[in-house]
Amino acid sequence: MLNISGLSTSYGSIKAIKGIDLDVPQGSIVSLIGANGAGKTTTMKSLVGLLKAQAGQIKFLNQEIRGLAPHRIVSLGMSLVPEGRNILAGMTVLENLEMGAYQRKDKEVQADLEKVFKRFPILEERKQQFGGTLSGGQQQMLAIGRALMARPKLLLLDEPSMGLAPLVVADIFKVIQEINQEGTTILLVEQNVRQALKIAHYAYVLETGKIVLHGKAEEVAKNPRVMEAYLGGTKADT
Amino acid sequence: MDVILNQYYLQIAIFVLLNAILGVSIYLTLATGQLSLGNAGFMSIGAYTCAILTVKAGLPIYLGIPIGGIAASFISIIIGFPALRLTGIYLAIATLGFGEVVRVIVLNLKVTNGALGISGIPTLGAKIGKALSALGFPHGVGGLTAQQTSNLMVLVVLLLCLSFLIFFCTRLNRSRVGRAFAAIKADESAAEAMGINTTYYKLLAFALGALIAGIAGGLSAHLTFFIGPKDFAYNRTVEILTFAVLGGSDLIIGPIVGALLLTLLPELLRSASEYRLMIYGALMVAMMAFRPQGLISEETVRFWKRKLGRGMKQ
Repeated sequence: MLNISGLSTSYGSIKAIKGIDLDVPQGSIVSLIGANGAGKTTTMKSLVGLLKAQAGQIKFLNQEIRGLAPHRIVSLGMSLVPEGRNILAGMTVLENLEMGAYQRKDKEVQADLEKVFKRFPILEERKQQFGGTLSGGQQQMLAIGRALMARPKLLLLDEPSMGLAPLVVADIFKVIQEINQEGTTILLVEQNVRQALKIAHYAYVLETGKIVLHGKAEEVAKNPRVMEAYLGGTKADT
Repeated sequence: MDVILNQYYLQIAIFVLLNAILGVSIYLTLATGQLSLGNAGFMSIGAYTCAILTVKAGLPIYLGIPIGGIAASFISIIIGFPALRLTGIYLAIATLGFGEVVRVIVLNLKVTNGALGISGIPTLGAKIGKALSALGFPHGVGGLTAQQTSNLMVLVVLLLCLSFLIFFCTRLNRSRVGRAFAAIKADESAAEAMGINTTYYKLLAFALGALIAGIAGGLSAHLTFFIGPKDFAYNRTVEILTFAVLGGSDLIIGPIVGALLLTLLPELLRSASEYRLMIYGALMVAMMAFRPQGLISEETVRFWKRKLGRGMKQ
């Protein structure tokens, strides 16, 4: 569904990502993991056009999308849930969700709204409340719901667990799996490596702008380097 | 009757309305969160275009004013493409520079009469007066003098313009476009990620603001019968901006109230008129400290609705 080859993005003269190759097969969950500053968010922003990539190819549904404006990419069926959620604080929950469907002109927006409310009942309860008054977890749900309103074929999630309590994180990951099972392909960026590897089919490890390891999620989880660096190391074994 | 309808009061009322229209123009550019200081420049383009067309080419006023507005918004689109890639303070500086460029160009062109400005512009009041006497009311209507009647008519024209703009803006806020404006203002990158074409909407807001500033410019040319490059210098821009800072830029009513207060204040403080800009400055500082969101924000409206609602129940 999404094939990236040789993708490079810089901030001025600083190269943030240096030639990434990554594939997201249809129907799967792919996790992109790595430490702070590895280039995860940069990768996500380059994919949706918020940042201009300097080199490489991004093929989405066999179409080259590098260099397209963000709104064009959204209309092709790729939606990003940004890091830090980016809720429109001064708009109500309902308005936030409606904004998600901004580009759609079909008649099924209402039906999709019902679906989002069914998935996140708390949002329906608070639909007249301002987005900024929600708790962190609810805001994350709203951000995901808003992205779903665009009916994406591929959903990009940038650190959905950031700053959330462990119980809420578990909820969010469950929802991500459900969304995937209903047919949406997902590319997930996470620092919560353990959880991310648990639900993903494939995983890529990003270090200082390069992919250093990739493969099936369970294989990546067993890799000694990954265990050492992200999963609490080998201490548990000794 | 004569006490209320004296020339002085009518003139002030006319300036209040004109400034309120300028308030709407800054409101529209601020609707996407763009701090543009080019409104005096656009006003200048509108005023000069309109004055040249009516004085030198003999076009009727009702054609000259809209053409002035369109010219201003056309220029705004040309400079908007590069300028709107800037944000915040950088955009403010660039548009401020644009205003100065317009002033210097106007100062040096032949067709604009340089520093002398264009005088002898037919005023709206005089035109309406002539029309009235042609209709058979050379001495005014209903016990009012001819001058009072024509000034009142000018007021009505301006009021109609302003009410149309308020209507237009409230409709706009509830439309797709208004939602996009609000989303861009709240969080530009989130709006972009949601699939809103931010460049397009920012440019649209910029051009709408310029259109209205241009129309206000054309109106001002035909209200004061003289325009010069000094009328549209940067302190005019600051004045327009203060309407929004004082009144608040969340709601359309904010800059209008700001325009009302800031037009009346110097008249009330007539004796201190030399210190007007200092008072403006002090007012701005006080506003920043105590009410950075302006006098009227969405919270204010909600608060009063709640308060009045409760009052009615009791």
